[in-house]
Amino acid sequence: MSHETIFSWVTFIYFASFVLYLFQVVLDKNFWGRTASLFARVGLAAHTLAIFWRWKASYDLGIGHVPLTNLYESLIFFAWTIILIYLILEWRIKSRSAGVCVVPVAFLAMAYASIAPGISDKIEPLIPALQSNWLTSHVVTCFMGYAAFTVAFGCGIIYLVQDAIMGKTEKKTGISGRLPSLTLLDALIYQCATLGFIFLTIGIMTGSIWAHYAWGSYWSWDPKETWSLITWLIYAIMLHSQYVRGWHGKRMALFAFIGFASVLFTYLGVNYLPGLHSYLKS
Amino acid sequence: MSKKTNLLLQFFSSVKLTIVLLILIVLVFILASFLPQHRETAEVVKQLSPNAAKLFLFFGLADLYHSPLFYLLMVLLSFNLIICSLQRLPVSLKQYRASCFPEPSGLFENIPDNRVIFTDKEKAQASPILEACLREKYGNSKKSETERGLLFCVERRRFSIFGVYAVHLGILIMIAGAVAGSLFGFEADVNITEGESIDTVRIAHGKEIRKLDFSVRCDKFTVELYDNGAPKTYRSDLSFIRNNQVESKGALLVNHPLTFADLRFYQMSYGVSPETKAIMTYSDDRQKSAEIALTQGDFFAIPQYNIHAHVLRVEENVMQMGPAVKLQISASGKDFPLWIFQQIDEIAAANPGLFSQVPVFNPGLFKPVVFSLKRLERQYFTGLHIVRDPGVPFVAAGGALMVAGLLIIFLLPHRRIWVKIQESGTKTAIIVAGRSNRHSAGLEKQIAGLRDLIRRKIPS
Ligand code: HEM
Repeated sequence: MSHETIFSWVTFIYFASFVLYLFQVVLDKNFWGRTASLFARVGLAAHTLAIFWRWKASYDLGIGHVPLTNLYESLIFFAWTIILIYLILEWRIKSRSAGVCVVPVAFLAMAYASIAPGISDKIEPLIPALQSNWLTSHVVTCFMGYAAFTVAFGCGIIYLVQDAIMGKTEKKTGISGRLPSLTLLDALIYQCATLGFIFLTIGIMTGSIWAHYAWGSYWSWDPKETWSLITWLIYAIMLHSQYVRGWHGKRMALFAFIGFASVLFTYLGVNYLPGLHSYLKS
Repeated sequence: MSKKTNLLLQFFSSVKLTIVLLILIVLVFILASFLPQHRETAEVVKQLSPNAAKLFLFFGLADLYHSPLFYLLMVLLSFNLIICSLQRLPVSLKQYRASCFPEPSGLFENIPDNRVIFTDKEKAQASPILEACLREKYGNSKKSETERGLLFCVERRRFSIFGVYAVHLGILIMIAGAVAGSLFGFEADVNITEGESIDTVRIAHGKEIRKLDFSVRCDKFTVELYDNGAPKTYRSDLSFIRNNQVESKGALLVNHPLTFADLRFYQMSYGVSPETKAIMTYSDDRQKSAEIALTQGDFFAIPQYNIHAHVLRVEENVMQMGPAVKLQISASGKDFPLWIFQQIDEIAAANPGLFSQVPVFNPGLFKPVVFSLKRLERQYFTGLHIVRDPGVPFVAAGGALMVAGLLIIFLLPHRRIWVKIQESGTKTAIIVAGRSNRHSAGLEKQIAGLRDLIRRKIPS
C-alpha cells in the first residue's frame, strides 16, 4: 500500500459520504446523516495519515519537503481543509445538512487530482524558487481561506434551496424541516466568509512576502495575483454591502456563490491565462 | 462650510461609493487579466489595427495597472476611505465613551419566557449572588437601579470598535507605500561574468543608466542539480567593493537576497558567457608557473624573458585537434603568432616532424619557456535583479496593521451583556441580554453560558 492508494480510497469514501448526506436530506432518517458524518471523519483521518505519509516519503527520497508544492498536492490539501472546516462546523451547529453541498467539492478536488491530465502525482524535488518557508504558510493560509469560502458556498446553496421550499409559508416541514433555519444559514455564510476573508488576507500577504524574497517584488500583477485580489475584493464588497444596505439572506448567498466562482477561477482557471504563477507550467 | 463642499464630503463619505469603486476596480482587474499586459505598450500596439491601437492607447488597456483610469480609481478610493473614516471617528469615539446605562432601547424585548430565569428568592437576596456570578465570569460589573428593576452590565473588548480604523488605515498606508515605491524606487537587471565586476546598471522600463557608488563582483557562480536534472541551487558569491576595498561579501541564493547600501540583490538568472576561459601555465628549465586564467583579448607577460603575450583567440576545437589558444607573442622586438593545443603531446606523436614543419604549433618555440594549455573553462554569468523600494516598510506595516485590525474586528468583537433582575408577580425574574458590534454566534453562546451559571447558583 502507498499513500496514493489511500488517497484513492479517501476519494471513494468522500463520494460515499456525499451520497449518504444526500439520503439524509431526502429520506428523513437520522441514521443516514450519522453514517455520512462517520464516513467523512474516517475519510479525514485516512486523508491526514496519507498526507503525513507522503511527507515522510519525500524525506525517504532525500528531497524532503511539505507536500504542498504542486497542483496535485494542493488539490489534496484543498480537499483536506474543506472536510476539516466542514466537520468543525457540523460539530458546532449540530446539523448535518450542509454536507450535501460541501463534501462533493472535496470529492471533486480529490478526483480531479487523480484523473485530470497533466497533473503529476510524483514527489518532485523543490526548485530553488520554492525553497521557502513562506511558501508553506502561503499555501496553508490560502487553502484555509478557499475551504472556508467553499463551506460558505455550500451554506449559500442550502439557503437558496431552503428559501425556495419555504416560499411564503414560513413553516418548516418535510425537507425544509431537516435543513437549518434561514437565520442560522445566514449567520453561517457570514461567519465562513469572514473566516475565509481573514485567511485569504493573510494568504495574499504571506504570498507577497515570499515574492519579495524570491523575486524582489512583493507584487507583480501576475494573473494569479490579480485574481486573488479580485476574490478578496468580492468578499470585501460582500462585507460592506451588508453594512450599508443591510443586505442579508439571499443576496449574501449570491455573494457566496460569486465569491466561490472567483475562488475556483483564481485556483484553477488562471492556469489557462498567460503568467508565471501557473502550476501547469514547469 | 459651503453647500458644494458639503455635497462633496457627503459623496466621499458614502459607503455606496466604496462599493461602486470596488466593483469598478474588480472589472478593471478582470479585463487586465485577460488582455496581454506589457509595460512596453509599443509591443502590443504594434500588432493591432490602427483603430484598435488608438482604443488601446486611450484607455491604457495595454498597461491597465499603470493607466490613468486605474490611478483615478485608486485616488477616489483613498479619498473615500479618508473622508469616511474622519467622519465616522467622532461617532466611534462617542460609542467608545458611551455608558452602559441606560441600556439600548428594546434590549429586553422579544425574549421568550423559557430564557428568563424565575426564582422564589427575593430580589434583595438574589442580587448579590447574581453579582458574584458576574464577577466569577467577567470580573467587575457595573450596576444601576432603575424604576423597572436592578441592572448589571459587563463589557468586554471595547477597543474592538477601532478595529475597522486599523483595517482602513492599513490599506491607506499600503497604497502610500506602493506609490512611494513606484516614485522613488527602481529596478534593474545586470549580468556579471564570474570574476568580473560592474558599477553601472540599466534601469528597467527606461533607458536610463545609473552609476552606483560601489561595484559588485561575482567571485563565483554555482549551479547544483538534483539527480533528475532539476535545479537545486543557484548561488552567486558576490563581493561589494568601495574605494578598491571589499566592504562586504556574501552568498546570494534564490529566496535569500543580499542587501548592500540601500539596494537589494536577487538571484534572477544565469547563463554561460560567450567567453571561454583558457587555463594556461608556462615553465622554464627550473620551474612551472601557477595557472593563469585568460580570455580572448587578455595580455600577460613573462618579465624575466621579456615576453609579452596577447590572447587572440580561445577555441573549443581547432582543426579537429581539440581545444587551443592563439597567442600573439612579442619577444625581442618581434611579433609571432603561436597556437597552443591542449593535447599537443598526442598531436605531436601522431605527426612526427610537426614542429619543424609548423613552428607556430610548437609550445616551446621561445625556449626555454614552454607554454601549455591545461583546460578550457566555460564561464558562467549570473543574472542579478537589483531593487530599491523605499515603499516596502510601509506596505509591510500597513499589511500588518490591516491583519491586526481584521483579527480584532472578527475574533475579538466588542460585547456588552446586561442582566436585569426585577420582581415579577410573586417571583423574581432574571433576564440576560447582550449586544455586539458584529452579529456573532459567540455572543449567543456567552449569554447561554451565563444563564446556565445563574440557574445553577440561583435555583428556582
Ligand atoms: C479594499 C478596501 C476595503 C477593505 C478591504 C475594507 C474592509 C473592511 C472590513 C473587513 C470591514 C468590517 C466589515 C464587517 O464588520 O463586517 C469594513 C467595514 C467598513 N468599511 Fe471598509 N474596507 C475597504 C474600503 C472601505 C472604504 C473605501 C470605505 C469608505 C467609506 C469603507 C468603509 C467602511 C465602513 C463604514 C465600515 C463599517 C464600519 C463599522 O462596522 O463600524 N471601507 N471594511
